[in-house]
Amino acid sequence: MKSRAMIIAVLMALAATAGAWAAGVDRYYAVYASEGSSLRYFYTPTTTDQRVAANTQDGLVEQDRFGRFVPSLAQSWTVSPDGLTWTFKLRQGLMYVDSSGQKTRWEITADDFVEGLRYVSDPKNGIKNFSRDVRNLIAGLNGYYLDLSDVDSGKKKDMTREDALANFSKVGISAPDKYTLVYKLSKPTPFFLSYLVMELFLPVEKEFLDSVGLDFGVSKEKLVFSGAYYISDWQRSKRIVLKANPHYWDAGKISVKTITLQYVPDPTTQVAMFQRGELSRADLGADQVKALAKSKWGQYIYSDPPSADRFSVTYWFVQNFTSSNPEFKAFVNNLNFRKALYYGIDRVKLNELDDPYKPGQIIRNTVVPEFQIFDEKGVDYTDYTGVKEIKAAGNYYNKAKARDYFKKAVAELTDGKGTIKGVSPATVDYKPIAEVKVDGKLPLQMVYVSLPDAVETKRALLLKAMLEEAFGKENIEVTLGQCIDDVFGEVVEPRRFDLLHDNFRFGYADPAAQLSRLVTNGGVNDGQYSDPEFDKLVQDAMSKTVLSERYAIFAKAEALYLDRCYVLPWAMGGTAYQITKVVPFTYPRGGFGITRFKFKGMVVEKDPITAKRYEQLKAAFYKEMAAAK
Amino acid sequence: MGAYVLKRLGQSLITVSIVVLTVFLLLRLMPKNGYFTREDYVNMDRDARTAYLRNLGVLDDPFTQFGRFLSGLARGDLGRSITVYPRSPVLDVIGEKAPYSLWFGLAALALSMALGLGLGILMARFKDRFPDGAGTVYVTIVRAIPSLIWLFFIQQWVTALLGWPMVFYEDRPVSWVLPTISLALSGIAWYAIWLRRFMVDEENKDYVKFAVSKGLPWKRVMRGHVLRNALVPLVQYFPQQILLTIAGSLLIESIYSIPGMGGLLVSAIRQQDNPLVQALVLLYSVLGVVGVFLGDLLMVLVDPRIKLAESSGKGAAA
Repeated sequence: MKSRAMIIAVLMALAATAGAWAAGVDRYYAVYASEGSSLRYFYTPTTTDQRVAANTQDGLVEQDRFGRFVPSLAQSWTVSPDGLTWTFKLRQGLMYVDSSGQKTRWEITADDFVEGLRYVSDPKNGIKNFSRDVRNLIAGLNGYYLDLSDVDSGKKKDMTREDALANFSKVGISAPDKYTLVYKLSKPTPFFLSYLVMELFLPVEKEFLDSVGLDFGVSKEKLVFSGAYYISDWQRSKRIVLKANPHYWDAGKISVKTITLQYVPDPTTQVAMFQRGELSRADLGADQVKALAKSKWGQYIYSDPPSADRFSVTYWFVQNFTSSNPEFKAFVNNLNFRKALYYGIDRVKLNELDDPYKPGQIIRNTVVPEFQIFDEKGVDYTDYTGVKEIKAAGNYYNKAKARDYFKKAVAELTDGKGTIKGVSPATVDYKPIAEVKVDGKLPLQMVYVSLPDAVETKRALLLKAMLEEAFGKENIEVTLGQCIDDVFGEVVEPRRFDLLHDNFRFGYADPAAQLSRLVTNGGVNDGQYSDPEFDKLVQDAMSKTVLSERYAIFAKAEALYLDRCYVLPWAMGGTAYQITKVVPFTYPRGGFGITRFKFKGMVVEKDPITAKRYEQLKAAFYKEMAAAK
Repeated sequence: MGAYVLKRLGQSLITVSIVVLTVFLLLRLMPKNGYFTREDYVNMDRDARTAYLRNLGVLDDPFTQFGRFLSGLARGDLGRSITVYPRSPVLDVIGEKAPYSLWFGLAALALSMALGLGLGILMARFKDRFPDGAGTVYVTIVRAIPSLIWLFFIQQWVTALLGWPMVFYEDRPVSWVLPTISLALSGIAWYAIWLRRFMVDEENKDYVKFAVSKGLPWKRVMRGHVLRNALVPLVQYFPQQILLTIAGSLLIESIYSIPGMGGLLVSAIRQQDNPLVQALVLLYSVLGVVGVFLGDLLMVLVDPRIKLAESSGKGAAA
């Protein structure tokens, strides 16, 4: 009996300890579900990597809570009249700190940015996110990289690696003195600052880099930090603890002194941990929102899509214009059929799988996301004529219109008796995804391919039911195929699909970030269509350096592109339902780069924020933002 | 015995070599696009991808790569991870993760053995009575209900009831308890059911009936003969079970956020992290083979009637 009482006492003490574990206001506890792969901040394939890099390293500029580009390690900058030379003046006397928060002997200087670019542009360092866009941005950089690539791939035999490396001096980046950094660009790029929030433009201290060699970033000890926090603890697959850098240049804005990020892959556990006071915030999936809505936690649940990590990502349906399914190939190359699909897909129904309460709020009809690109007068690109109307249209679903377009397509493509002109019976081999026999007659056979997870499977079934109901099973038959986990490798590259949905993140503050790679043979033109008129408009827009002129042409190009239905956009990424103690709108925001992941300015309270309070803060914030532009 | 040990060591070496070489070559048959994500294809053109692969060394012929792997192995260098933890030395990754799996595994194994063998003895001792029935119910529940269900039940409800943390914290010993128990539950059932079965088999053998009829006390018969003989078929698995605890548990480590080895091999294969896959396969195959070998030796120690090598000459015939 005595021992039983003792056990109970011990258990109660432990329970009390667990309760006391709850977050305080200068501490922030969160989880991450995708494991960080490396601390080498130039290569950040996961959001966790990006979050750590953003908070432990500073670049020249950063985004503030309105998404504006504001000075960071650079104090000021000037642009030459031809728009080609950007000169940055750095803050002086700033030192790197180590993983115990102590000042190192290394000062942050302009040379470190030169070294950073040298590091990312060497293929031996395996920085896979060193994109064409960035390489083409800075004078001489693409040539330098390609020479090294060619030497490494064995294609270039008349040059040694040493010779190729020596050519870095011809790349358009230099440090004329300790605190001055100069970029020379290949072409005038008024939105250059939006590139500088990427991890590729972070600094690295050469002497330190040389001393750690290949071990750079393999542990916290193999790094020095220039950001608001340093990594005080890092345990693979477990946790990352960031502590406020006491020598930070902008320390006044750091109200949360310790950030603890824990690896918890299971979303159910995350929510339960929040409810028990172990976390400062938890993200909620659609099922969790449903489960909690009527509980006491319901009052704290709200959704703020623009603050979601993936807000700038657009989801669209890709149609295979070069399909080896002769029936689908005939139909997809017909504009009336594409319009039939455009009007036949109920975006609200599809979005209910992600956001059961406000599915309409995550519809996106445009390719380029809103709130990301502003002209010299502060006008959002998506408010330009052509795109504005499409953005405002909401759910395009219209069954009657869809049927009309389908009838027109059938009239143009068949002989009137259901035989598709020019199509012979065949077996469509999309193995191992699917295999379909086509007879050259209606119903049109098409293969929709998705990932095998529960939500995607539901979405595929919904889409099939939607299309077969809209056009009739006698006219269309959708076969569902599934890949394992690699949509590109298993489906897109081997061309094993007729229709699929895909998404791409947005790179920098210009419509070209998406539109220039959707042109004929563009990097994400997975449908393999070609439209010279669209290509020309994009090219024309890219030649303009006055933003309003540039955006007007881009808007025309995007409107034409969407009117011709080359892809079918339907949603934005991230529903952003959450329960949190973090005061909304106190931290940076943005749709690209890594500085949007900074915790700088973030305010954490003891109690969760109610949905009502969020609405009040939101109204005030948007007023403030409008005034700030 | 010495000759047998040498022979078995030789066989083990050949087995491990075949496994490692096969996995090594199979990895080289994987499509090259597995090294790249969709974003990589957007960012890198063909030449950049080729340069990347060449820098990784995966474009060299497989035997050159295997030679490189062997020479690294001779120096104690298993290379660096390429995709799961880019550039981290593989030995560091394993060195950081293995202790968690090992300690949780060993604690769970000890618990499984203590409770499982105890339960097995009780079930055999009270065959067809309440302890046997209760043990059977336990074994049936653990084996019939998908582990995910009771594992989540334990995590969600027991932690709520006791106010314990939901995930593992190294500096909070109370958070070690539930993962260990969760890991042990199926082991307890395994030991209990097999020991019961072997003990019941032994109880029905003539030598036991003879011993009892000669007047030996039942307890002594059970302890000295039945239990000892029933343990013989089980002990051969002990070394393997101990050694392979290092592999961790994908499910439990994931649920309790334990930074162990569970799931590492799966991630490495999915992301085509050749050095990591090779190192893990080498480690697991060596431990597996050594475990079987030690199991055989242990069986001989427990049961002197078992001979590992056939004796030669007249003595053997006699």
